[in-house]
Amino acid sequence: MINLDELKKAIGELDEEKVIQILTEFVDSNPTEEEAQKIVNACQEGMGIVGDLFEKGEYFVGDLIFAGELLTEAINTLKPVIGGKSASKVGTIVLGTVHGDLHDIGKNIFRSMAEAAGFEVYDLGIDQPVSAFVEKVKEVKPDIVGMSGVLTLAIESMKATVEGLKQAGLRDKIKIIIGGNPVTKEACEYVGADAFTTNAAEGVKICQGWVK
Amino acid sequence: MTDVKALQQERISIYHDVYDDKIPKRVPVNISLPFEVIAQFGGLDLCEAQWNPAIIEEAVDKICQTVYSDVCVFMGSFRYPSFYQILKSQSFQMASNGFIQHPEVTGMLPEDYDYLIEKPYDCLLERVIPRQYKAFNPDDPINCAINFAKSILAFNNDFMQSGMIINKMEEKYGYYPGGLLSGGFTEAPFDFLSDQLRGFKGISMDIRRMPEKVAAACDALYPIVFKMGLPPIISNYTQVFIPLHMPPFMREKDFAKLYWPSFKRLLDEYASMGIHCTIFCEHDWTRYLDYLYELPTDTTLWFEYGDPKLIKEKLGKKHIITGLYPVMNLKTKTKEQCVEEVKRYIDILAPGGKYIFNFDKSPLLFSDIKLECLCAVAETVRDYAVYSNAGETAGMVFNKADYKVEPSRNLESKYYKTWEQYKALNPEVSDFGRPKLQNLEETIFHYLMFLLV
Repeated sequence: MINLDELKKAIGELDEEKVIQILTEFVDSNPTEEEAQKIVNACQEGMGIVGDLFEKGEYFVGDLIFAGELLTEAINTLKPVIGGKSASKVGTIVLGTVHGDLHDIGKNIFRSMAEAAGFEVYDLGIDQPVSAFVEKVKEVKPDIVGMSGVLTLAIESMKATVEGLKQAGLRDKIKIIIGGNPVTKEACEYVGADAFTTNAAEGVKICQGWVK
Repeated sequence: MTDVKALQQERISIYHDVYDDKIPKRVPVNISLPFEVIAQFGGLDLCEAQWNPAIIEEAVDKICQTVYSDVCVFMGSFRYPSFYQILKSQSFQMASNGFIQHPEVTGMLPEDYDYLIEKPYDCLLERVIPRQYKAFNPDDPINCAINFAKSILAFNNDFMQSGMIINKMEEKYGYYPGGLLSGGFTEAPFDFLSDQLRGFKGISMDIRRMPEKVAAACDALYPIVFKMGLPPIISNYTQVFIPLHMPPFMREKDFAKLYWPSFKRLLDEYASMGIHCTIFCEHDWTRYLDYLYELPTDTTLWFEYGDPKLIKEKLGKKHIITGLYPVMNLKTKTKEQCVEEVKRYIDILAPGGKYIFNFDKSPLLFSDIKLECLCAVAETVRDYAVYSNAGETAGMVFNKADYKVEPSRNLESKYYKTWEQYKALNPEVSDFGRPKLQNLEETIFHYLMFLLV
């Protein structure tokens, strides 16, 4: 059995070569699904370290993007041994960049970190109309809706999206978090969201708090 | 002299004083609003106005009468839909609300690094532009030529229309004729590589996976971005505008190794020719203030975030500071609060000179600002930020002889010919054709590279 702490540390340090080496050796050892699940958990904990280092100002957005890729690569390496059975999911998020905004870097970082934390994420994409959020929420009944935007105009679109969810009678069934450059406490109140963040790692923590 | 001419003279002298290291009579009010904001102000359909820039003139004239500024209140635009549409741009697209934006796209793959390093301009034209502009398709050469010709005609037309409006307003209202888009424009080599070549995600991978290639690519791109930014006329007053993008999202050690060397060299080389730069420090540059100090004297530093006091203390004697005042205040605060706050910024940033008033960033929507707050702030700066010691020396003095740089590699490509190269291939051509042909060569170079910034 491999050293879980070593793996966690290598993920935290974003040491790609080492992570892939550890995981390849692990896969070659024909592990059980239970063992594989422990490895997946260690990878998720490693992402927690990345999030902490970001909050401390040692990592920056570029490092988070790299971390997201590294995690995807890690899970792909593990696929043959985790089989079709996915890890137990902790909650469901419908995510998208609101209409009028084409930016998605922050959203994508949040998505990888949320997935790493065990959420099932439905990513609608960029420039998404209110109806796209409403329809998806009706369809998958998520715990959380995440709205992203970089431009200041995204605030108005977020507000319109919350209104749309209200009118469809869905607002009370979900928590809403907004993220991106222009969001502030005031913007959050104005939009009618439950929480806001400019930090993807913090956003994931808020979501974890909601589904506990 | 008419009142307008006298006012223009005053405006020219306050800007020139700042650039000549003197305390001006008052702080220049450098407010210019983007195309989109003014189109909304005029009640125009944003999409229609961007397709027909001429129709914005009435709204521009009205906003110039409404808002005080020492430069034309209309900034113009960099992005019109015509040429991006004709070339089927992937990197500049109009969103559902009419705003042209730059989605995350990849124009260059990791395996292109070696070719980029060996023949940068060839790689950009053969591989990157065709990926970002689907109608610039070398596999369909005749349509490629037609589309390219159409797009450059559209570009010239739209820029001429908005340029004419700016010139007209400068004449009519006596503005300082040196707006942000009036000099040169370029990017730091690393940003050029990041924005449309590798993308934010791609470059974040490369920094860790192949840092040597990133550094070599920045060096290879250097002559291109250098040439791109050169202003048509060199004087102490023309500026090269360089918006900076990636550093706040990087670790300092990556910045120091990969971003800074080619960028610093760029500004040093311009300084050695007597050219100054205005750099927009997007996001938060607090971590990098000591680096910024090392840039050539009188670099105009436009800050989006940061502590004005710390910035003034660290950089205010050497560089010209602008920005910082949060444009969002104009929406969220009352007129009185805005006025009080702008006085606070002036009290910190104006003493000792080397300060030009501007917002932290341009507003994006007309609804981002309350017009009465904007007017009150602009007029407060004009009336309150007045110096009693005009004419005195302001801080450190720029001297171009202080800057020496080894000559960089030349732009060498089969797609770009100097007059000598052209003449060697076409010995029959008359020397009378030289200025015209060389100018066209430069125009095409600038347009092609403009597609990638």
